[in-house]
Amino acid sequence: MISGRPNNGWVIWFSLTIALLLSVAPMPGSAEIARPLWLGLVIAFWSLVLPHRGGLGAAFCFGLAQDVLAGTLFGQSALPLILIAFLVLSLQQRLRMFPLWQQSMVLLVVLGLAQLVQLWLNTLTGNRPPTLLFLVPVPVSALLWPWVYVALQGLRQRFAVY
Amino acid sequence: MLGVRLLVFVVLCVVLMVVDARFDALKTVRSQMGLVLTPFYWVADMPVRIWRGATEQIASSSSLMAENEKLKAEALLMQRRLQKLAMLTEQNVRLRELLNSAALVDDKVIVAELIGLDPNPFTHRILIDKGEKDGVFMGQPVLDASGLMGQVVEVLPYAARVLLLTDVTHSIPVQVNRNGLRAIAVGTGNPDYLELRHVAETADVKAGDLLVSSGLGQRFPSGYPVAQVTEVVHGSGQPFAIVRAVPTAMLNRSRYLMLVFSDSRTPEERAADAAEAQADADQKAAAEGAEAAAPAPAAEAEAETSDSEQAPAASSSTAVSEEAQ
Repeated sequence: MISGRPNNGWVIWFSLTIALLLSVAPMPGSAEIARPLWLGLVIAFWSLVLPHRGGLGAAFCFGLAQDVLAGTLFGQSALPLILIAFLVLSLQQRLRMFPLWQQSMVLLVVLGLAQLVQLWLNTLTGNRPPTLLFLVPVPVSALLWPWVYVALQGLRQRFAVY
Repeated sequence: MLGVRLLVFVVLCVVLMVVDARFDALKTVRSQMGLVLTPFYWVADMPVRIWRGATEQIASSSSLMAENEKLKAEALLMQRRLQKLAMLTEQNVRLRELLNSAALVDDKVIVAELIGLDPNPFTHRILIDKGEKDGVFMGQPVLDASGLMGQVVEVLPYAARVLLLTDVTHSIPVQVNRNGLRAIAVGTGNPDYLELRHVAETADVKAGDLLVSSGLGQRFPSGYPVAQVTEVVHGSGQPFAIVRAVPTAMLNRSRYLMLVFSDSRTPEERAADAAEAQADADQKAAAEGAEAAAPAPAAEAEAETSDSEQAPAASSSTAVSEEAQ
């Protein structure tokens, strides 16, 4: 872990805000089904790279914000996000040793678990998706992981966030 | 340590969910957060709006654009009038047999613009740019130029969320315009069609029938077109016929929608009011008839009555055009 006082925290919040924006951005017709889990990816990145900066708290806050935007119950999308942050934080030391494609594989499982939790919560509130298509965002997000990682890593180094 | 934090947050989430589902305590928090977060939809929608603006700019000069916009709004209002006509003419024939007169009832309408879609592809909900501050209320019916679209399910200060007819959790009482047969149209989760529930095998429903809202659920005003029947499947061995209908509203294409403020009076009150108005009018006519014996003001009286007939329609349309601007 890098020592030193935390600085430039706004970069983290900024990237999370952009992710939130992307998660409600209009998408053309059928691409809607494959919308990547932007917030999940960005939360995973910051939990992986800066584990001491409280990934769970940020996941909770932005989960609630997403709930308001999507009109779901408070906590309904916060819970999967917290799960993602927790899993990445607990696997963090191993994950950092992996090459990017292998990280993608692990994230495939992590995001899949989060989607399953999301499915249970949706079912509880009476909105059960009729098919397995709700899992499509998972491989899409896993494929996007290397690009997200490189982009955010660049941002982090540019602004010296640690 | 990490496990403890996880536990705390998970318990917090579960408690929040239960409280939010069972009690109203978090409604104000949600509306405050909505105030902050609604601009997100605006920003996310910006590229689309800029693109539309740019294409319009290239196509025509700014004056033409303004005129076009005005004409569009006018056309929208005219089409809404037209929508009710099919039902009204049919209904008129039936009602005239029962009553000698019927009061003209016209609903007040404001125009809203679509600003966002629900990010979850399995729910059919949209966000519009009118909210509590514009008088939008829970359960308010929403129309587009060609039919009913859905109802308001969540009201934020400057935005509102609309549940569309085709959502799996939505159903609406309808009737067949041709013969008045009542049924419930249920959303299928598929944006292309609705299904009628519990329609008897022998019921008189044919492909091509227009379904209009019946107003029996006390939520939607009666007489607006909802869907057009496309197929009726009679399967032996099944208790009910399967009836599919295509919504007449362009659920996934309309950008401008109308919010209806319908008459909150019960049918009995409405009938009583109409009767009262009729009695007043009769008295007036009698008085005027007596006056008309003295020669001058007959033409004036005629003008006056025609004015009073048009008054409700005129007032509602001015309200609309104010909102449209």
